Amino acid sequence: MTADTIEKKIDYKEISCQSCGSNLLVEPQMLTAICPYCASPSIIQRPPSEDLPTPAFTIGFVVTQDRAIEAVSSWIGRSSVFAKSAFRKAAPELTRGVYLPAYLYNAVANSDYRAEIGENYTETETYTTTDSDGKTVTKTRTVIKTEWRSLQGEHCCYILDVVVTASKGVTNEALEAVEPFDLRALRRFSPAMISGWLAEEPSRTQDECFRFAHGEAVDKVGSQLKGFMPGDSYRNLQYETDVANESIDLVLFPIWTFAVRYDETKPPLQILVNGQTGRVGGKVPISPVKVSIAVAVVVFILLVGALLFGMAR
Amino acid sequence: MSDSASNAAHVDRDQTDCLACGTPLERGDLRCAICGKSAPLGRNNLTTTEVVKILRCTGCGAAVAYDPKKQAPSCSFCDSVVEIETLQDPMEQTGGYLVFTVSAEEAKAQLQQWLSSLGWFRPSDLSATARVQELKPLWWVAWVFDADARVSWAADSNHGGRRSAWAPHAGTAEIVFDDILASASKGLSAAEVEVLASGYDLTTARPNPEGAENATIEQFDVQRSQARKQVAQALNEMARIRVQQSEIPGSKFRKLQVSLVLQNLVTRRLSFPAYVMAYRYKGQLYRLVIGGQNKTLLCGNAPYSQAKIIAVACAVIAALAFILLLISVTQ
Repeated sequence: MTADTIEKKIDYKEISCQSCGSNLLVEPQMLTAICPYCASPSIIQRPPSEDLPTPAFTIGFVVTQDRAIEAVSSWIGRSSVFAKSAFRKAAPELTRGVYLPAYLYNAVANSDYRAEIGENYTETETYTTTDSDGKTVTKTRTVIKTEWRSLQGEHCCYILDVVVTASKGVTNEALEAVEPFDLRALRRFSPAMISGWLAEEPSRTQDECFRFAHGEAVDKVGSQLKGFMPGDSYRNLQYETDVANESIDLVLFPIWTFAVRYDETKPPLQILVNGQTGRVGGKVPISPVKVSIAVAVVVFILLVGALLFGMAR
Repeated sequence: MSDSASNAAHVDRDQTDCLACGTPLERGDLRCAICGKSAPLGRNNLTTTEVVKILRCTGCGAAVAYDPKKQAPSCSFCDSVVEIETLQDPMEQTGGYLVFTVSAEEAKAQLQQWLSSLGWFRPSDLSATARVQELKPLWWVAWVFDADARVSWAADSNHGGRRSAWAPHAGTAEIVFDDILASASKGLSAAEVEVLASGYDLTTARPNPEGAENATIEQFDVQRSQARKQVAQALNEMARIRVQQSEIPGSKFRKLQVSLVLQNLVTRRLSFPAYVMAYRYKGQLYRLVIGGQNKTLLCGNAPYSQAKIIAVACAVIAALAFILLLISVTQ
């Protein structure tokens, strides 16, 4: 019964090592395997299907394992004082260097926008005031006023190099935390690039990845539109974006993944290191005890201060 | 030199175009530089059945694995490295040389004619005593591009202003760029290029320099990726100028923003003929640039006669003083 459920959970693939002939069990998403008996790096090539296209590009690992471990240790050391003590003391456990599947998305974005544009002008106005002798006098001054004009228009641009995760093991937010990758180092995918390393196939559907990409594209348009507005100021900027000429390519990005287990009762925390730039990303667990102590201390100091101030009066 | 030039011309011919935006891809491009679409695969290496394999070193037969220290797949036993197709970023090479149709003698004569046509404020003996120090034929380099652009723009203009002098406007335009020249020359100034640019026949491009001896041949000093940035910048600047000229209502503008979607961007790299002449007048060196295909296009500087300017200034002051004197006398 239990064996049955486990088998259903992970549908291992059986392959045989081309070097020593031993049978290996491989996780279904993996594109590579290393034989535990003879250490030979095998590569699994599957025919592409709709949600499992052949990778178009890869970026090779630049950061070695030692450098990745160093980067993570110093990152944990630099983490916030409010981080849980157990987390700051925990030793990161290197799980693996993996070629993470992600989609590289490009499109043309056509947007209709409307906004109110503020155009400044100066006006001379008269006002009354009392002068040093206590008399009421009338004076003039120039003031800057804003006239609001509505503007409606179109904006078109290319949205280039949006990267979204295609692996269920890594969320899009987690991948964004270690971006950007230097895409000038992109290479045409070749099985030799992933030989000896772990490499995954996409485990998210293309529809889901397209949704991520759309979201990022619309955000990018939004920030471009902010700079696009004429006038001295603007408000109520609204826009609707249509994307056309979308292209999507599967890219394998180099990522070192670490797990930090700081609490027996909780799942380990995932920390990613960009295998090209060494950038570290992860969510630091905040200690509620530390935060409440800090708040209590601040409140106490304020109370004491108020009390002293009241007594002094 | 001539070899690489004809090579470059050859590369230009067997390009494939980007499937999405029509911009020609160049050798070594993995993706389109304009729209980002991946280049179509040359060889068909799609697998149809599941295969498990071990890549082996062709030298010693050991397994090949990717090595981050070498940043390439390599054999751990014999250290040989497997080459992977990477993005190429070569130095820009000229695709052809436009021929000289103006001879050195004609250019020299043009200099003399120009010197004598400058006007009264120049020294009287300028064309007689100016000595041509050096006449150097030069091929200067530039990108020539064609593109279709959909331009969206927004700006403030004085048209339709109410209380404020400015009113916001926005619009879109389809702009066709045809044989637009963007200079890559280090030797010629922007002002000189602007004067020369209109006087060339692009159909006279030859694979080798023709029509002048001992010419200075300028090279593109930039890599392809940098060149693309410069061309994109030039296109953006051109679009701004076109929008100002013919799109925005009103006569005064500010805060012009343009956003372009380019298609079919074709860039050619060409070398353009010109004469650079240095001439000396009373120990001072002056410079003149003359187009190599149209001698009437020239750009240069020449001395002013200080004696004549002082004389005129004195005369003006004297006249003013005389008028003042007259006025004071009559009063």
